[in-house]
Amino acid sequence: MSNMKTVEVVYNTRERAGEKSPGKIYSEKLKVRRRREWRGLKDTLFDYSRWCYLMFGVLGKFILNPRNVKGFLRYRWMMSYLFVPHGMDKFTIGLRDEALRITHYAMNYVIADVTQAIHNCFRGDRRVGNDVAYSEKCCITDENSMVPFVMGFDKEKMHTILREVPTMFASNIFHQFNVMHYLDVAQQNGIPGDVCPMPEAEAGVSMDDDFCVLGACAVQNNTTCDGSLMGNGIIAKRLEKQYGIPTYQLATPLRHQEEDVIDYAVEQIKGAIAFIEEHTGEKWEWPVYFEAARRVNVATRCRNAQLEINSTPYPQFFGAVFSLYNDTNYMGNAGRDPYFEVLDKKLLKLAEQGYKEKRMYAKEYRHRAIVWGVQPQYVIDMLYWMVQCWGVVPLVDMLSVINKDMIAETDTPENREQAFRDMAMLNMQMIMRNHTHGGYKVLVDELWDLCEKMNADVVMMWEHMSCKALNGMHGMFEEQGRERGIHIMWVNHDLCDPRVFTRSAIRDQVNRYMRTVMREEPLDPSLEHIPDDEAY
Amino acid sequence: MKDLKHLIYFENLLQQANNELIAEAKKKGGIAVAYTCENVPEPLLNLGKCFSIRLHAPQTGSMDIATYYMTNLLCEPSRALLERAIEGGYNFADCVITPDGCTMINRCVENMELLKTMGQDNPNFFHEYMEIAFKNTPADYDLSVLQCTNHILKPLQEHYGVDISDKAIRKAVEKHNKLVKVIREIGEFRKGDKPRITGYEFHVLCLATYVCPVDLIMKKLEETLEELKTREPDEKDWRCKILLVGSEVDDSSFIKLIEDNGAMVACDRFCFGSYPGRTEIVLNDEEDALTQVCRHYIQNCQCPRMMNQEKVYSRKQYVADLAAEYDVDGIIYQQVKFCDPWAYERMLGSSMLIHDYGYPVLSIDRPYNASSSAGQLRTRVQAFVESIEIKKIQRGGTK
Repeated sequence: MSNMKTVEVVYNTRERAGEKSPGKIYSEKLKVRRRREWRGLKDTLFDYSRWCYLMFGVLGKFILNPRNVKGFLRYRWMMSYLFVPHGMDKFTIGLRDEALRITHYAMNYVIADVTQAIHNCFRGDRRVGNDVAYSEKCCITDENSMVPFVMGFDKEKMHTILREVPTMFASNIFHQFNVMHYLDVAQQNGIPGDVCPMPEAEAGVSMDDDFCVLGACAVQNNTTCDGSLMGNGIIAKRLEKQYGIPTYQLATPLRHQEEDVIDYAVEQIKGAIAFIEEHTGEKWEWPVYFEAARRVNVATRCRNAQLEINSTPYPQFFGAVFSLYNDTNYMGNAGRDPYFEVLDKKLLKLAEQGYKEKRMYAKEYRHRAIVWGVQPQYVIDMLYWMVQCWGVVPLVDMLSVINKDMIAETDTPENREQAFRDMAMLNMQMIMRNHTHGGYKVLVDELWDLCEKMNADVVMMWEHMSCKALNGMHGMFEEQGRERGIHIMWVNHDLCDPRVFTRSAIRDQVNRYMRTVMREEPLDPSLEHIPDDEAY
Repeated sequence: MKDLKHLIYFENLLQQANNELIAEAKKKGGIAVAYTCENVPEPLLNLGKCFSIRLHAPQTGSMDIATYYMTNLLCEPSRALLERAIEGGYNFADCVITPDGCTMINRCVENMELLKTMGQDNPNFFHEYMEIAFKNTPADYDLSVLQCTNHILKPLQEHYGVDISDKAIRKAVEKHNKLVKVIREIGEFRKGDKPRITGYEFHVLCLATYVCPVDLIMKKLEETLEELKTREPDEKDWRCKILLVGSEVDDSSFIKLIEDNGAMVACDRFCFGSYPGRTEIVLNDEEDALTQVCRHYIQNCQCPRMMNQEKVYSRKQYVADLAAEYDVDGIIYQQVKFCDPWAYERMLGSSMLIHDYGYPVLSIDRPYNASSSAGQLRTRVQAFVESIEIKKIQRGGTK
């Protein structure tokens, strides 16, 4: 232990308003919490106003549309969205002041974005809205897909539908048991239980014929792993053979750090664009592309600035919401929605204000952690719990360590060529795969660079037990972490299957490490064991 | 049947990765080019004094150290190879060329590199990682040419002064085709009601062609071919004939286990089998040899990670065509446990071969070393053989 790196403990000089022990609001008997958290008058009012916004401004508006009610009754996964308000509360445990506002503004928009995606799916869905004219202008794509290849299509004319996001990715966040059925379907059909459950569940949804059916065409991508590549084949078979929706396989090179794959990646992007043009009849427009590229750069600048703040003793925007926000903005949006620009700036302003005021999420920051690996969907509140319970502040997670460079944003003949390289680069370096593929340097070496840069003494290592790319470097992380004096806190999970590791089994791994290795007591004992294994 | 004259010789060669022929070839000044994936164009690893050696880990027992480095959730071949590398079993290698094909094998080789398991006494030793094509398009051919140039040819030339000219590539292809011709001819004897070679014997010969310097086994392969032409087949009838599809089979006892249950493995379509690995490369004189070799490998590739739908469907058609050609009664789709590409391919392939092509299919996962799960595997195969027999009876045929 003496060789291990230590960081200076940072103390919160402010007393937290309202509830002192938020662990008390969890209940063993209920599937939701006993009551809402009391955060002092001002923050409780803010929190409640956002709850009202979600209930009435987003979800109420959605359900008033009869088409959406029909969709709700047709699709099993829609059940998850009954629990969105409860799901939102998972992210705000113990939060006050700027942190509460940042979390609400960011996550509320992510929810609104997913709601809009469901609305769009139902509109074109052959079984629900069956708006044929709309559907013929839609291109569907994968949940984990980066979408630069649609940046130059006017989103009012050509609609990009990430139909796996509401079906599987987001629904699992709001209802931990939701995906189990689709995993069972996939396994009943012969896919083993040892592959990554995310593409497996998506394949299961397809086998269960529980995806919305719409679109003039589909673009699939070999996103993050062998499993996601292989699952696409199953999904494409149903799309093509049963529903007559042509699919394009956008092959994205894995060794994205090598210059000699760029030309191929560019060709693939060009192929995807031509394919969409052919099937939707819409044309690529360079002014639309460069406007989106400008917004991508705004997002990149804001994200870089957020990370700068997070390298100081007073990090402001972190945890699952930072990751989900980046996921939505960087991957799913890619500069197409103008509101993200407004929101990016708003969130940065709040973070700067919080930094200036030295706002903290907990009463002490004892350790500074880099979170590496892939977070489990069903314990999405884990990082907030970790900082509140143990004072381990998650400075940044792997999924948020993405492109830091600007792309060409001015429309010139040279930049039009450069644009394809930029799109190819963004596509290759999409979230997660930019670290899990491309060789050990981007997975292992970059982690230590980040620890140095952000002054971290702990790596909280999510070990998603079916993620072969991460697990394949297990020993290297151990050995090299030891050499550098960095604590490696392994936390096993199975991404979206709570039967393998329950929420408490996941948290207990941190509890054990903190007690036995760090020899510490929790900052908030009410949170050490919380009875939410059966909660949504 | 009378034992093949050289069978024990070939069996012995498979007993260790660093077999006696590798030492002999190196003694003669050969350069051992180690590789791990069938997608790497093999003739390019056999230029001039180079000889290709596909890494395998026979007699695998404990994989504890590799499991520490890669956890027990990675496929057993990747862990077995790493374990063997740590033990020093691949110290003969003068370089390792690996495609970023399946993630686990890629990670395995990265661990080998980081742990400096090879090349300690060889200043010219190098590791190279390649991008491998995903589809069958001209862009993929270009990618493959560039990758082979940058990650095979140039490093071999720079580190070992290997001649990488068009002429040298053509010569290597010629050598490759000679081998293919012999192996394919040997494989032809698996056809018919009275096959003259068993699936097990063929597997031993075929595997040897990947893990030994080909020049040093050619003579014995040719002698075996001649021997087969006059070999008297067994009088006994096989209960059924099957086609084996899936992940690499490095453990010939797995084939033996299947055949011990009366199911002859009449055809092999798995990584490092004879289909499609031992297919003739036809070169013309108009185009450079490298481009033609790369195109051949992509067009003939049956790897599950090829992602365009034409390839996805044609892989099943390929299996169905082989099943028809070899007149098999059933198909076994198998994967080594934790192999993601074959996990999905096995599911889709077995489903399509049953429903679209009408073949009985056994779909199983298995350990790298079949003996560690022999009882379970035997039970599955026995049941499959019986089900095929029952179907035959129900159709009015005889056993």
